[in-house]
Amino acid sequence: MSGADVPVTTFRVGDALVARVAAEAAAAVPGVVALRTDLAGTLLGLAGQVLGTRRAPVVSARVDGGQAEVSLSVVTRLGFNCRDLARAVQREVAAAVGAYTGLDTLVRVTVVDVLIDREPAARDDLSVR
Amino acid sequence: MALTPRLTPEETRGTDPVDTGPVELLACGRDAAEVWDHAAAGTLDEHERDCPHCGAAAADARGLEEMVGHLAGQSLVPPETVVDRVVGAVLAELRPRDLIPLDSPHGPAALDAAAAAAVLRGVVDAMAGMRARSCRITRPSAPGGAPGPAEVAMTVTARFGVDLASTTARVRQMVLAAGEQALGVPVARVDIEVVDVFVDGAGTDGPGGSS
Repeated sequence: MSGADVPVTTFRVGDALVARVAAEAAAAVPGVVALRTDLAGTLLGLAGQVLGTRRAPVVSARVDGGQAEVSLSVVTRLGFNCRDLARAVQREVAAAVGAYTGLDTLVRVTVVDVLIDREPAARDDLSVR
Repeated sequence: MALTPRLTPEETRGTDPVDTGPVELLACGRDAAEVWDHAAAGTLDEHERDCPHCGAAAADARGLEEMVGHLAGQSLVPPETVVDRVVGAVLAELRPRDLIPLDSPHGPAALDAAAAAAVLRGVVDAMAGMRARSCRITRPSAPGGAPGPAEVAMTVTARFGVDLASTTARVRQMVLAAGEQALGVPVARVDIEVVDVFVDGAGTDGPGGSS
């Protein structure tokens, strides 16, 4: 690579790419029922569905130099330990993004909801309360 | 499963069941944590099999196990309609977001406090003769800056006739176990207030119906 006429090639990973890889990796973790986003993200996602553009608005990602920061909100169900789930998501997402892009990734996970299957007996008693 | 500081048999013998010591005992003088361990290991002794208080505690242990195992076994993702997604997002936006930090070596992780409280209410609701009303869970920082163990404040109602001395011990044990198993948050303090009793028409199908 000593030739001075070789064009300099730069390579930059986009935020959207990191977001998509992170979303795919997080959704594949056992115990993750859904990824959730804020209102703006939901509406953007719906608009994207209508317009036919597929994007991954459920995860926000930012690439800064050789570092990426990913924030995601996951929904799980009772039966999966929230702490272990959060760790698994962080591990899997960081590994997937790192393997795909070579970026050092900080993953910020928030478990926003835990689905509970209320049994019919408990439902009946709601009137008592 | 070492969830609570144990009392040795010598200490237990000298303890008044209504004494508000560090560990609330069941009305029969047994430690609910020990009954849970025996129920899990299948080594319930003669007293624990016959005693209604120990029976209720053992049923709690099985109930949590079943509930958690049953739901974890489900693989179906609930269908999400457009309306559900928008309503969920709007509600999430409106709700004040209290977060409980989760211990993770990989980076910042947190759990929504309202979701955590709903889990604890759910497991207490599943106990025989017990309904949860309100639940608050907080995780104050330890002096070093790291999050310390969680504190739970809960109000419950009990079925009329359920032994109240055992109630707090059972709820406490359930909250400690669920905190560890379902949330992954160590719980150091459980404040339980039994605010009311309720009468249901189903009769005494649960244990502890004696007065």
